[in-house]
Amino acid sequence: MLELRGVRQRYEGRTVLELDHFTVARGAIVAIVGPNGSGKSTLLRLAALLEAPSAGEVWLDGRRAPRTGAARRRVTLVEQRPVLFRGNVRENLEFGLRIRGRRGADLAARVDAVARQFAIGGLLSRARRQLSEGEIQRVAVARAVVLEPDVLLLDEPASSADRAAALQLYQTLQEERRRRGLTICLASHQLEDAYRWSDDLRALADGRIVPISPENLFRVELPAGSPDVTRHVRVGPVEIAVATERSGPAILAVAPSDIILSRAPVASSARNVFSGRVTRLARPKPGLVHVTAEVGVELVAAVTEEAVRELGLTPGAPVTCAFKASAVRVF
Amino acid sequence: MDFLADGLRRAVHLLLAGDAEVLGITLLTLKIALVATAVACTLGIPAGFVLATRPFWGRRAALTVVNTALAFPTVVVGLLLFGLLSRRGPLGGLGMLYTWQAIVVGDVLLALPIAAALSAAAVQGVDPRFRRTAETLGAGPWRGAWMVSREARFGLATVVTAAFGQCTAEVGAALIVGGNIRGQTRTLTTAVALYTGQGDFGLALALGCILLLLALLVNVALQALQGHGRA
Repeated sequence: MLELRGVRQRYEGRTVLELDHFTVARGAIVAIVGPNGSGKSTLLRLAALLEAPSAGEVWLDGRRAPRTGAARRRVTLVEQRPVLFRGNVRENLEFGLRIRGRRGADLAARVDAVARQFAIGGLLSRARRQLSEGEIQRVAVARAVVLEPDVLLLDEPASSADRAAALQLYQTLQEERRRRGLTICLASHQLEDAYRWSDDLRALADGRIVPISPENLFRVELPAGSPDVTRHVRVGPVEIAVATERSGPAILAVAPSDIILSRAPVASSARNVFSGRVTRLARPKPGLVHVTAEVGVELVAAVTEEAVRELGLTPGAPVTCAFKASAVRVF
Repeated sequence: MDFLADGLRRAVHLLLAGDAEVLGITLLTLKIALVATAVACTLGIPAGFVLATRPFWGRRAALTVVNTALAFPTVVVGLLLFGLLSRRGPLGGLGMLYTWQAIVVGDVLLALPIAAALSAAAVQGVDPRFRRTAETLGAGPWRGAWMVSREARFGLATVVTAAFGQCTAEVGAALIVGGNIRGQTRTLTTAVALYTGQGDFGLALALGCILLLLALLVNVALQALQGHGRA
């Protein structure tokens, strides 16, 4: 459905995005995750045909998509911290429909239907200054969905929403996908949401898709040293041991399955041992639990339900995370 | 200080009496300023928009030229225009020298950089997400520009005010290319200069008061419009 082929984007000589091949299949929900500045928003703006890439092309349904005309109307982007136009919410929802020639009762009926879908019927007569950040996000998503695009691009769509509102938003988007095969590509910091609502998850680091899970990514400056020495690099208040020959700017990644949890520190060969407390549990798949622990930095470990029960891992419980220096991957 | 009080008294008297000459000068000034402001803004605001939003080769140089033109001395513009419009000049055949239209041309040349530079600044101040949002919802370049203009309306109102202010307050070019001919090209500013030189301080002060009143009225009207459009 949506493809970015050999896309590079440079701003003032600096490459911020470098994708050899990025595809989203029709009707799929793909989540892009990664730290701030990893290129998520740039990727979405390019996919929305709002910016011309420095190199490469955007394709839709196997055809090269020009940045004007009909192709652009098939893809709609909701930006991070979206803006509403002057006027009330109804006028905002009508904006794109009017451009497409919808008028009168047909226009009003379509707006009312989407307003019901997104539970914003009570906001229709309000101006933007009378809305909260979360409401503005919901209206902005509704303003895009009302146009029935083939591809919906969402940049942090629920960053200002509380859990209940985020749940409702994602459920509505799922219904829309079931109803008419909407393709969704979303960028999110909320890994739990990304796991729960997407079919596929891509991690982006320094403008590149990295073949690793998106948890436990750290941007660091590796110190120079002899090749056979384990490097120690500071990430916030903790120091991570890394077995690498590299130095300079890098992304460190620790796979959740490589982190061993215990109630207290145990003697082992692991060079990285950090104690802290469990902050939350998530269950992305049956039988698998993602335990998030605050140990100075936030670490996510993947364990089984059995391990959670035996170790008594509940929010607030003490926990020790351990992983080997050789388990830290460097990009 | 007596001459000041006398001048003020004369000014009030002339204003209340509805003096025909004062009225004529005022209407001519208003006509010239409105036409010149309309032309300068019609050309300058889109130019400012392009400067602010469209990347093109030489854009930085164009911005520098526009900003430099803001400081153009009015007499220099008047002199250049005089050279062009005088009988021996390249545009002498038009017969425009010493007409109100010549003053309009001078005012347009002076107000155009103001309109372009200030509108570029106003548009640059609008969050780029407004334009991108309009475009992703299906707007073409013109509608996208219109949505940005709606967000920049306060800044653009200032552009109109500043251009109008330049057109009413300018004296150098009006004097040189208009010639300050009574009943034909005498504007409020050239009349103030003339009557002050002739020692008719009361009349000069009365005309100065009208000039201030015009500026006040335009500002009040624009503020009322802005207040009406608040959202």
